[in-house]
Amino acid sequence: MAKKQSKTERAQALMRAQQRRERMRNLLVVGTVVVAIAIVAVVLVVVSSKKDTTGQAVDPGGSPKNLTGTYNVVIGKESAPTTIKVYEDLQCPICQEFEKAAGQQIQTAIADGKVKVDYRMVAFLDRSSTTNYSSRALNAAMAVLSTAGPDAFLKFHTIAYANQPAEGSAGVPDATLIDWAVQAGADKSAVTPLIENNTYHQWVVNATDQMSRDGVSGTPTVFIDGKKYTNPSEGVTAVLAATK
Amino acid sequence: MKQWLGVLARLIVGGVDLAAGLAKFPDPAGNVRQVRAFQILPESVVPTVGHALPTVEILIGAMLILGLLTRSFAVLAGLFFVAFIIGIASAWARGLEINCGCFGSSGVPANPQRQYAIDIARDIGLLICCVWLVVWPRTRLALDNLLFPHHERLADGEEAVED
Repeated sequence: MAKKQSKTERAQALMRAQQRRERMRNLLVVGTVVVAIAIVAVVLVVVSSKKDTTGQAVDPGGSPKNLTGTYNVVIGKESAPTTIKVYEDLQCPICQEFEKAAGQQIQTAIADGKVKVDYRMVAFLDRSSTTNYSSRALNAAMAVLSTAGPDAFLKFHTIAYANQPAEGSAGVPDATLIDWAVQAGADKSAVTPLIENNTYHQWVVNATDQMSRDGVSGTPTVFIDGKKYTNPSEGVTAVLAATK
Repeated sequence: MKQWLGVLARLIVGGVDLAAGLAKFPDPAGNVRQVRAFQILPESVVPTVGHALPTVEILIGAMLILGLLTRSFAVLAGLFFVAFIIGIASAWARGLEINCGCFGSSGVPANPQRQYAIDIARDIGLLICCVWLVVWPRTRLALDNLLFPHHERLADGEEAVED
C-alpha cells in the first residue's frame, strides 16, 4: 500500500515536471512567433510610411504659377456676387457628370460676372488607371496654368473632362496630355518638359492631402458661398440655380 | 464538426482581413485620408494609424488563415471589428458622407446610408466568427496543432498523461 502510494507520488511529480517543460516550450514557441510577427509588422509599416510622401516640401520650381492660394485657382471677376468652390479629380466619373450637367453654365456665368469659381483640383484616383492618370492629368493641368494662365487652365479642364479615360484603363499618354495642353492654348515647348517630368507631382500629393484636411472626403464636393453639397446631384441643382 | 466550423470561421475572417489589407497597402496616403475622414482620431496619430492599418490587417489575416495563435489573433481581429463598427456607426450618426474605405476604395458611395448599414452588418458577421474562434480556438488544419500538440490532446478529451 505504502509502496503504491509513493509510486503515485512519483508519477505525479514526473507529470508536473513534464507539464513545466511543456509550458516552457510553449512559451518559447509563442515568443518566437510573436517576435517574428513584430519584425514583419515593423518592416511593412516602415515601407508603407516611406512610400507616402504626403506633406514633404515641394522642390523649388515644383509649385505651379498663377495659383490664387497655395492649392487653388479662382477664376472669374472679383466683383462676382457668388463664389462656387469645387473639389474635383480629373479621373472622377461623377465629376465628369457634374461637368457635363453644369460645366457650360458655370463658364457662361463666369463670363457674365455672376459667379467666380474657386477650383481645388486633387488627384486621389491614381489606382483607377494603370498609369497614374489622375495625378498626371492634374500635373498637366497645372503645367497649362503655369505657362498659359487661368483661362487656358479652364479650357484644359473642359477638354480633360470631355475626354476622360475610363476607370481601370491605361489612362492617357503624355503625348495626348501635351496635345490637350496645346489645344487649350499652352505653348508646346513650354509644357512638354513639365508634363513629361511630372514636375508638380509633390504639389499634387500635398493638394490632395489638403482636401482631406479641409474635411472633404470625396469629389465632386461643391460649396456655394460656403454652403457644402456632398451629394453630386444636389450640387448640380444648386450650381444651376446659382448660375442662372 | 465544431473544429471544421472553426476552419471556416478562420478562412472567412482571415480571408477578408488579408484581402482588405492587400487592397489598402499600395496607397498609404489614401489610407491616411480615409482614417482622417472619420474625424474621430486626433490628427497627431492619424498618419501612423493610416500607415499601420493595412499591415495589421494583412498579419491578422495571415495568422488566422494559417491557424497560428488562433485565439489571440481572433481576439485582436474582433477588437478591430468592434472599432470599425463604432467608427462607421459614429460617422453615420454624425451624417458624414464617406466611404468606409474598408477595401481601399475611395470616393463617396451613391447611397452612403445604405452602404453604412451593409458595412456594419458585414463587420457584425465577422465579429461573430471571431467570438466563435475565441471560444473554440482549436480547429482542424491549423499550425497551432503542430506547434502545441499537447493542448490538442486535452482538447480532444484524451488523457493528458499516459504512462
